[in-house]
Amino acid sequence: MSQDISKTGVKRRDFLKVLGASSAVIATTACSEDTGKLIPYLVSPDQTVPGVSSYYATTCRECSAACGVISETRDGRSIKLEGNPDHPLNRGALCARGQSALQGLYNPDRFRTPLFKDATGWHATTWEDAITRLGTALGTAQKGGAVFLNQHESGSFPRFLDGWLAGFGMPAHLSVDFEADSAAIEANRRSYGVAWPSLSFKDAKLILSFGADFLDSWGANVPQQLDFADARAKLDGAPRFVYIGARRSLTGLNADQWIACKPGSELSIANALAGKGSVQQAATDSGVAANVLQALVNELGASKPVLAVSGASGDNALDVALAVAAINQASGAVGTTIKPATPITAFEGIAHTDQVLAAVERMRGGQVGVAFVRGTNPAHSLPKSVKFGEAFAKVALKVSFSSYPDETTEMCDLIIPDLHSLEQWGDAEPVRGTIGVQQPVMDPVFSTIKGGTADALIAVAKKGTPTAAAATSADYRSWFIANFPGGAAGLAAALPKGITSGTIAQRALPPAAAPVATATPMGSTTGDFFLVTYPSPVLGDGRGANKPWLQELPDPVTKICWSSWVEIHPETATRLGIERGDILEVKTATGTVRAPAYPYLGIHKDAIAIPIGQGHAAVKSMALFDPKHHSTGDVQWGYGRYSRDIGVNALDLIPAGTDGAGGLVWTATKASISKTGDNRVLPSTEGSARQHGRGIAQAIDAADLNKAPGGDEARVEVLPGDASHEFLPGLRAPVAADAQGDLGSPTALGHGIEKGMYNPNDVRGMAKRRWAMTIDLARCTGCSACVTACYSENNIPTVGAYWQNATLFADARPGFNIERGREMNWIRLERYFEGNPDGKFGEDFETRFVPMLCQHCGNAPCEPVCPVYATYHAPDGLNVQVYNRCVGTRYCSNNCPYKVRYFNWFGYGEQDRKQYAFPEPLEWQLNPDVTVRTKGVMEKCSFCVQRIREGENRAAAEHRELHADEFTSACAQACPSRAITFGDAADPNWSVAQLAHDRRAYHVFEELNTYTAVVYLKKVNHPATGATAPAAN
Amino acid sequence: MTKRRKWTAIPGLLALAVGAVMLSAYSGASSSQHSSPVQPIAFPHPVHVQKLGMNCLYCHNAANKSMDPGLPAVSTCMGCHNMIGPDRPASDLGPKRHSDEIAKLYKFADAAGPGAGMGPNAKPIPWKRIHKVPEYVHFPHTRHVTAGVTCQTCHGQIQKMDRVYQYASLNMGWCVSCHVNGYSPKEGLEAAGYAPQQQATTSSASPAPATVATGERKKARYDCANCHY
Repeated sequence: MSQDISKTGVKRRDFLKVLGASSAVIATTACSEDTGKLIPYLVSPDQTVPGVSSYYATTCRECSAACGVISETRDGRSIKLEGNPDHPLNRGALCARGQSALQGLYNPDRFRTPLFKDATGWHATTWEDAITRLGTALGTAQKGGAVFLNQHESGSFPRFLDGWLAGFGMPAHLSVDFEADSAAIEANRRSYGVAWPSLSFKDAKLILSFGADFLDSWGANVPQQLDFADARAKLDGAPRFVYIGARRSLTGLNADQWIACKPGSELSIANALAGKGSVQQAATDSGVAANVLQALVNELGASKPVLAVSGASGDNALDVALAVAAINQASGAVGTTIKPATPITAFEGIAHTDQVLAAVERMRGGQVGVAFVRGTNPAHSLPKSVKFGEAFAKVALKVSFSSYPDETTEMCDLIIPDLHSLEQWGDAEPVRGTIGVQQPVMDPVFSTIKGGTADALIAVAKKGTPTAAAATSADYRSWFIANFPGGAAGLAAALPKGITSGTIAQRALPPAAAPVATATPMGSTTGDFFLVTYPSPVLGDGRGANKPWLQELPDPVTKICWSSWVEIHPETATRLGIERGDILEVKTATGTVRAPAYPYLGIHKDAIAIPIGQGHAAVKSMALFDPKHHSTGDVQWGYGRYSRDIGVNALDLIPAGTDGAGGLVWTATKASISKTGDNRVLPSTEGSARQHGRGIAQAIDAADLNKAPGGDEARVEVLPGDASHEFLPGLRAPVAADAQGDLGSPTALGHGIEKGMYNPNDVRGMAKRRWAMTIDLARCTGCSACVTACYSENNIPTVGAYWQNATLFADARPGFNIERGREMNWIRLERYFEGNPDGKFGEDFETRFVPMLCQHCGNAPCEPVCPVYATYHAPDGLNVQVYNRCVGTRYCSNNCPYKVRYFNWFGYGEQDRKQYAFPEPLEWQLNPDVTVRTKGVMEKCSFCVQRIREGENRAAAEHRELHADEFTSACAQACPSRAITFGDAADPNWSVAQLAHDRRAYHVFEELNTYTAVVYLKKVNHPATGATAPAAN
Repeated sequence: MTKRRKWTAIPGLLALAVGAVMLSAYSGASSSQHSSPVQPIAFPHPVHVQKLGMNCLYCHNAANKSMDPGLPAVSTCMGCHNMIGPDRPASDLGPKRHSDEIAKLYKFADAAGPGAGMGPNAKPIPWKRIHKVPEYVHFPHTRHVTAGVTCQTCHGQIQKMDRVYQYASLNMGWCVSCHVNGYSPKEGLEAAGYAPQQQATTSSASPAPATVATGERKKARYDCANCHY
């Protein structure tokens, strides 16, 4: 045949054959397209409609606060968590950690079966067998003494657990929360009579924080943030906020003034403010100029009531907290800004760290025969100097109820995985008098896990002959219902809203010895720098490290993700010749770690800071690990694949000392640093920390708010696109109408205005809406909850895991893609520093946070440059990205002044690729309403177009128009400072239409005539004024 | 044939092949239109719809309230078929008869016999999917049904199909032609076999579109983000 062709060319008959064959191939491929199967229900569940979400109110268990959440459950799978608007604590908002509970539920490293260890290693077993094993082993082991370390939670389970333990003759459990501020709790108890009064920032005239990071992880951060934002929204009537501490945390960056004191000297300052010490002494101890402190004393005297909070973490933490309470009492704060009458009860009953340390010593002494661990990871969360592993190994029977592999669980003998909190019953009492219900929002992900910890304990009790009351219940659900106020009827009434009034019977707390401070004063340790360690606002004490959303969420302060870092002041760094990314060796008496340097203006020049949360044990035997082919029998030790090989554990550096309240002292020692000569690129999304005069984040002094604009302000007013101008429906720029309406139509001839596609006057009324957003920078705190909400809503892949690099010529290290700028955050938090331009030591810099997302320009620079019409302007004002049209030229991204378009470099959404971002069962979290993007496609914020369509469909089904504020975008829904408002700017009934005309409104880069649909409201600053301003030195 | 002619033939062939591909793509040949797979149970729509007069929404109960029209659960089938077994005794309805298809249903439902209900080993029926739009297309059934688009407009005379086949191409051009040129509820009702005036029986809560009477064509948005997001 081929010879024939070479001699004679193609014969007519051959040609026809080829043509016929190729057509047949085309036809066959078309016909054989696999459309799959349609599998109906056996019995359709009540009150569910396929493709329509059900919503279940439950309780968040990601920290002790116990906020109310609503799970959106579609076809039996939870796909999104949002705050419960009816919940008194979080009022509809939810932080990034709470939203990421979904990734705990669907974590690919979750134990799929119970496991036991024998001489040959780990073996999977059935749930029933695990119960039998525990029952058998318990009989002999318990005689040697028992310790139960349980994650702290309010509600009935702690009481149930104590009852069960008592039935076996074992002592009450320890309720552990390593993040809790024991000193603050103890001082609250002594000063106000409750563990945690509710705080009312909006009633204060002055807010003082002594290292209390109430916007990061100190206390109940969502309600605190809601209230703080409400305080800031009072604009010129808002309280001034002064932050006193060695490190400016996220909370510190939100302060109007930072007083950078030496670690440990907060006590002198607090005493001076309370009138118990001299300003001069405080100035000497803290290294702060006396006039600054004197000005603060004066301001304090003139501002009543004050709200002062302490989160000091040094050896004198309790004394600081008590002195701060004295400031409050002197200022008349109790009852106005500090409300002991409405306490947040979630922090009651936390075992202090010294009790845990005492238990560890009992283990070391061979006095413990059986140890249980549930929801806590002491092997990672206790300082290395405690030598927890050594002590734990001496316990004969070690049982873990952890759902995930972690350092402590790896040392255990038996693992009976707990159900996730979204899969089981429970309750919480977040605020006195309010019960929050925790209900399963779906069937367990793994049917091999037949019950939660409580169910397992009941099953064990039934095997033996204990006297525990627990053994009389069939399972925990029936015990829980029997103990619920009002029984089954009461529970049924509480379920729709997720809350009910009432109180939960508290467990009798075991008597504990009065804590004794064991920490040595920091000054007596050796080293060049004070070492500040703090729990990461994103990962907490490390429990968030196995969730990719949290790893990928840039730290709100440093903008670094998938890494640890050492913060060092730029002036000190310059003096020592240290540059960004230089690997430093940090050495203390108890240990050494190596981490990259991050020069940061907000750290005292005599201090360095390292966040806690990373540095989980290395995952063994994962060299050839392939996320696609996860075998069920192979446990990925460490803390799962997402925490593998990331950073260091700062707790390796600190001695195991406790403060007067029994809490672990985090800021405990001095350290010396040395350069190792290595350097790495930090996986950071920071870009430039300075605005370079671009006016992206604008601010106004409170005093100038009511002044009529003049001079430069007046010039700005006449610029087109200014917020004082009207929002028109659809396109408003004539340029855009030409480019995309008449001439840009793909079927231009005879189409365009004539056919009505872009004509706002069209009879079909298609263009009557203009979707828009306002972002109030006076409210925004930079917490980044909106970022995670967007990841969750829009199926955004995380790209930083170590296997998601390029196939060739790339290092398999976490964060590699971030180093290359491949992050996909449709909404990001830009953080800019103002002032202190030379980076010399000085606390007089201001921070502005700007959530940056697609601005949905009326005259979008991205649109005319797209050669395939994959991005265009919708008649309702959306700048649309059509994934199936996009061919990936990236011209649009090059032309976008806001840099909000993100490119899919590696096909993170495609299951058969190495870089797949959703290893099973993580893909269950995907939102079915949003396309999962493929490789080579540009993507960006869509203004949650799926929510717009859902709302429109609902309205159409009910034959009505959309109600004002009927729905909102995912970022606006989650925002714990209520900074974001979304809606239709063309309809004056929507909130956004009013806010867009605020006196503080501006558009970013309005000089580019982009006619953006996102309107920012200027941040309001409260500089020290008049008599309270510090006199010049 | 000369060497030169040979070298023109190959690109020519290629060009023709490309042309054929494009032609087939735009002509709808790449769609699975007319595909009619054999289903695990040969469910007869005509018997249920035409003979027994069942409404489409009885089984596809989410079509007017969800993106997804919904398939009947096995328990929905067994709601009637619990009493209508595979063997019909002779009666005034006709002579004694055996139905293999109902027997298959009983097997899926693990039903021992008429009146016995579903057994413990019941399994869902793995229907073969016929109509499918790509993942990046969002087609809300609810929006179309509430706008008065009848099932037959897109699915053909399904009430007459002994074996369901894909009636429309489901290509984008097919979608857009209706959105651009408009849809006539009158024609839709006629396609469904109703006289237009029968629409007047709808409740006041969902008034009939005014266009039914006038025969006006109802147009819809057809910009990309209407369906692609």
